[in-house]
Amino acid sequence: MTWNFEKVYGGSSRPLGGLAWDGQRMLVTDINDGTLIAFDPINNKSEVIRRHLNRVNGIAFGDDGALYGCQEGSRRVIRMLDDGSATITTTQIHGETHNHPHLLVVDKKGAIWFSDIYQAVKASGPQIFPYLNHQSILKLTRESRPRAHWHIDRVTIDTISPTGLALSVDEKTLYVSENNLEHDGIRELRAYPILENGQLGLYRVLHSFGKDSYGVHRGITGMCVDQSGNIFACAGSLQNGPGPMIYIFSPQGVVLGAHPFPVDMPINCAFGDEDQKTLYVSCSNGELYRVKSTQYKGHILHTKKSK
Amino acid sequence: MEVDMTVQGFDRIVPKESSLRLIADSVSFGEGPVWNKRTQELFWVNIVGDSIWKWKEGVGKTQVMNPSYKADGMTFDQEGRLVVAGWSWRRVWRLEHDGSITTLCSEFDGKTLNSPNDIVVKSDGSIYFTDPTGGLYNVEMHGNDIQRYIDYNGVYRISPDGNTTLVTKDFTYPNGLAFNADESLLYINDSRDDLINVFDVNVDGSIKNGRLFYKLIGREPGVADGMKVDIEGNVYCTGPAGIHVISPKGDLLGRINIPGHSTNLCFGDHDWKGLYVTTYDSVFKVRIGVAGIAVW
Repeated sequence: MTWNFEKVYGGSSRPLGGLAWDGQRMLVTDINDGTLIAFDPINNKSEVIRRHLNRVNGIAFGDDGALYGCQEGSRRVIRMLDDGSATITTTQIHGETHNHPHLLVVDKKGAIWFSDIYQAVKASGPQIFPYLNHQSILKLTRESRPRAHWHIDRVTIDTISPTGLALSVDEKTLYVSENNLEHDGIRELRAYPILENGQLGLYRVLHSFGKDSYGVHRGITGMCVDQSGNIFACAGSLQNGPGPMIYIFSPQGVVLGAHPFPVDMPINCAFGDEDQKTLYVSCSNGELYRVKSTQYKGHILHTKKSK
Repeated sequence: MEVDMTVQGFDRIVPKESSLRLIADSVSFGEGPVWNKRTQELFWVNIVGDSIWKWKEGVGKTQVMNPSYKADGMTFDQEGRLVVAGWSWRRVWRLEHDGSITTLCSEFDGKTLNSPNDIVVKSDGSIYFTDPTGGLYNVEMHGNDIQRYIDYNGVYRISPDGNTTLVTKDFTYPNGLAFNADESLLYINDSRDDLINVFDVNVDGSIKNGRLFYKLIGREPGVADGMKVDIEGNVYCTGPAGIHVISPKGDLLGRINIPGHSTNLCFGDHDWKGLYVTTYDSVFKVRIGVAGIAVW
């Protein structure tokens, strides 16, 4: 079935970032503008609902109904509350400040898994906090009350340029996209088993992206899952390879679908709308697209109403 | 000690025999230097270290306060109380003589301040402070609420009776500010636009007639940050390579080279001819030939 991608928001040329369905509206970040935009599918209108975000990219609701965001410009995962205020989680792992959080996903227990990467755009303030010597998936966990302190664990030990991530519905598998765009870099979709002790087992590669005389084929930047466990991923570019694409992979890595995307560089995708069957896609050109009434029903774990 | 880009006569301001003295190392983002003339002590903050320190000749350094809620610029008011630009705490506060803390200003027009950065007290007791966003956005600078509410980076005045008014919102990133000796001029610098503007000060404390005073140029570490004025009207401003000394007309007289990235400075010693400079990791001192404007 051909997907009909419909543009629902856009106009600036600034790249859009992460997406999160709040229960009624699709939220998306305008990274460089520092704004959070809400698109309402009932009236097809968009509005800015939060400003001054200092480059928040990935967003996701937590089990507490708060919206968590990867504040790339301040190298921290922040917690945005309904009253308009925002607090931090924690920023250090074993006493060192982590890199730029990029995209994140929240699990059933409220732990936050995020990709933590280097970036060309410097964070705010004096450059006196060195990067970690690795780019990994990190996990933020909040201790039980009354302490309720956050702490960070390193989850992957073998990633070079992790960008997108997703959890399987049963939360026994972590999907990570390696997206190293250097000539000898690896771009692949990995499935890491999450072991009983919380650590990761050996990964399997579900899909690989190649390179040719025109350059490396852009791998997966962002992804999400549906209730059946299928993985929906944004990848590709107009420069080479099969072009900008929304892929659908089975949990085993079978390509169930590959939908050419109408504009370059789809970045992130997330399911939304009341039937949870609309897939929204944010793009690096500042536009937000959707495809309605897919045959898939998104796995939306938390929304604004989660408590 | 090295100076460069000097004009003839600069050795009257910074004598050739002056040397750079290390007052404190292991500083984690030094800032807020101010001299207490009653006790002959230098105070400064370690922003990242979240503490306020003091140093005295022959005694050494002592921690005064920890945590300091990511305090930044500091000065003394007319009663010798430490007045602090509270940066990540998003308020201007005062350390009372009994050790308690009084909040002087935490919001404007019903909105929480960005993050007060530097501060100066006028002789009438009014307090001027800059309010850019560093204490909200900078890496590892965390307050209880890190959402920004005010759309501009303002400069404010707290009147002696406690009312806060907006002095200007025309800066991109206002940072250091200082009066000249008779308080007819207010200098405000901008870390993003690399400039110092000067304003005439009205009787009611407002400012007018803003004009460009000096443009900072240089590829060395350092930006327009802390700034003070001496009794002759020369302006001392952190910038590339260390401290830029600028004539009252706005001409560079010379640069005092300071290792690392200078953040702020103050005058001190019994004759106000000690120039103390904070950097990201140290506090330095240079004896100079012209007295700075006394604090308190």
